Amino acid sequence: MAAYLLLVGVPVMGLLGILEAGRGIPAPLSIGGEWAIESDPTANCANPPGSLQRQLAWSISQSGTEALITLHDGHAATLEATIDGSTLTAKSPSGTIAATIAGKLGKRTMEGKISLVGCAPVAFRAVRQTPGKRGE
Amino acid sequence: MLDLFHLVLQIAVILVAARLVGFLFQKIHQPQVMGEMVAGILLGPSLLGWLVPGVSAALFPPASLSYLNALSQVGLVVFMFVVGLALNPSDLHGYGHAAVLTSHVSIVAPFCLGGLTALYLYPRLSDDGVTFTGFALFMGAAMSITAFPVLARILTERGLLRSRMGTMAIACAAVDDVTGWCILAYIVVLVRVTHAARPAWVTIAGSLAYVLIMVFVVRRILPAFEREFRKRDRLSDNLVAVIVVLVLVSALATEWLGIHLLFGAFLMGAIMPKTQEFTHYLLHKFESVTVVLLLPLFFAFTGLRTRIGVGGGRAIWLYSAIVIVVAITGKLGGSMFAARLAGMPWREAASLGILMNTRGLMELVILNIGLDIGVISPAMFSIMVLMALVTTFMTTPLLEWVYPTRLLRAQMDAVHKNVA
Repeated sequence: MAAYLLLVGVPVMGLLGILEAGRGIPAPLSIGGEWAIESDPTANCANPPGSLQRQLAWSISQSGTEALITLHDGHAATLEATIDGSTLTAKSPSGTIAATIAGKLGKRTMEGKISLVGCAPVAFRAVRQTPGKRGE
Repeated sequence: MLDLFHLVLQIAVILVAARLVGFLFQKIHQPQVMGEMVAGILLGPSLLGWLVPGVSAALFPPASLSYLNALSQVGLVVFMFVVGLALNPSDLHGYGHAAVLTSHVSIVAPFCLGGLTALYLYPRLSDDGVTFTGFALFMGAAMSITAFPVLARILTERGLLRSRMGTMAIACAAVDDVTGWCILAYIVVLVRVTHAARPAWVTIAGSLAYVLIMVFVVRRILPAFEREFRKRDRLSDNLVAVIVVLVLVSALATEWLGIHLLFGAFLMGAIMPKTQEFTHYLLHKFESVTVVLLLPLFFAFTGLRTRIGVGGGRAIWLYSAIVIVVAITGKLGGSMFAARLAGMPWREAASLGILMNTRGLMELVILNIGLDIGVISPAMFSIMVLMALVTTFMTTPLLEWVYPTRLLRAQMDAVHKNVA
């Protein structure tokens, strides 16, 4: 009985302490899921890249402070992004994104500038449609 | 639209890879299932997609994966029924406090260490869409699981099933499995009610009512199948179909309640009559198609979602090392220490710890649920898959090192001579 209390009871109390301590830990803002873009990032393009004529959506796969933005451009071009507080920065051969994340969890938005290859930087606003399933 | 050509091609490639890698792993004294799990990973972005991205994209286009997923989920439903079927409460009889203490410590120790690790990993690999409680509880549950089917297979292959340590391992793994799935069901409810339209009380009250109906009503009807089996020494195809429908209805009930399909299938198996002949008959009926055809599809689908070492930089390897060390320390160390305290000699206690540390495909099942409900991120999923592979791979060589077969045979011969 004493061994049981020591080996099971004490760790269970410890676990409850861990759960309590962890409540205050801040986590990166959630941005994973499908997003709709409320402006045309290819508006200032001299030569719109590939089939990217009117980029209207992207999806994001997030793991903590790292994220992978997949453009719905027919080629599924990807940009690796990092999240620092409410700031998102993404860079890849396809282009760059610098944005500020805002809004509550259910109504997350993003505002900033996107610069795709062959296009001048353009301001955009994006709204998350659904957090969506992960790993897809 | 269903692209039948792609789907059939995918199944063929997956089966060939699973059998081939499984065969190679058997050659190095690993269980076949270990090779099949690795084959799944090799077909994903961690190897095939990394080496020949063009071939990978042509073979597994994202749009086609939903069909592969659907097939693998059906396979998992049947597999979880088989796992529940193989669980026998009589395994627990006669071990008293030793089994209770060892099994409970083998859950609590990795669970606590998993929670502690979550304090470090939550701000790095999760996001504010997941609560710390959900993340930490999931980490704990995933660290504390034991692969009951793989463990039973290793014990059988090594002739350890009837040894004291083997029967103790089976008893502890049975307790671990049931406890682990109960905890996981709680976590799924906890995570899903925050996003579901259905009130939490409906899920909780409905789940309780479902378990009570299964245990006190359905379980009393099931012996009719066994009686029919005894009369004819077999079940008609119609009766086998009825059992399949019961499994599916049970799975649908838990899915509707907001827990998960797999819990219903598992519980249906767990409450089936447990006489040896009847259980063997059903296992034989259900196991072959599931193990040979459908489980490799699940491993491949898991592999396609796993990106070992892809992205995340060096930090991912550090996180992976931390998770693997914590998982082994908690499960192997906790079980070994508790078994020693319960009176087992060091060698047997260490062997028990090594066996309990086998996570195998049960870990993959849990991780896929975690990724589906969004409680872990893709990077965390890949790290935990790596941990599952390492802890399963290390079991056989470590067991042979701690408890060599020649020593085991000599001890069992001595026991037989004394009995004679």
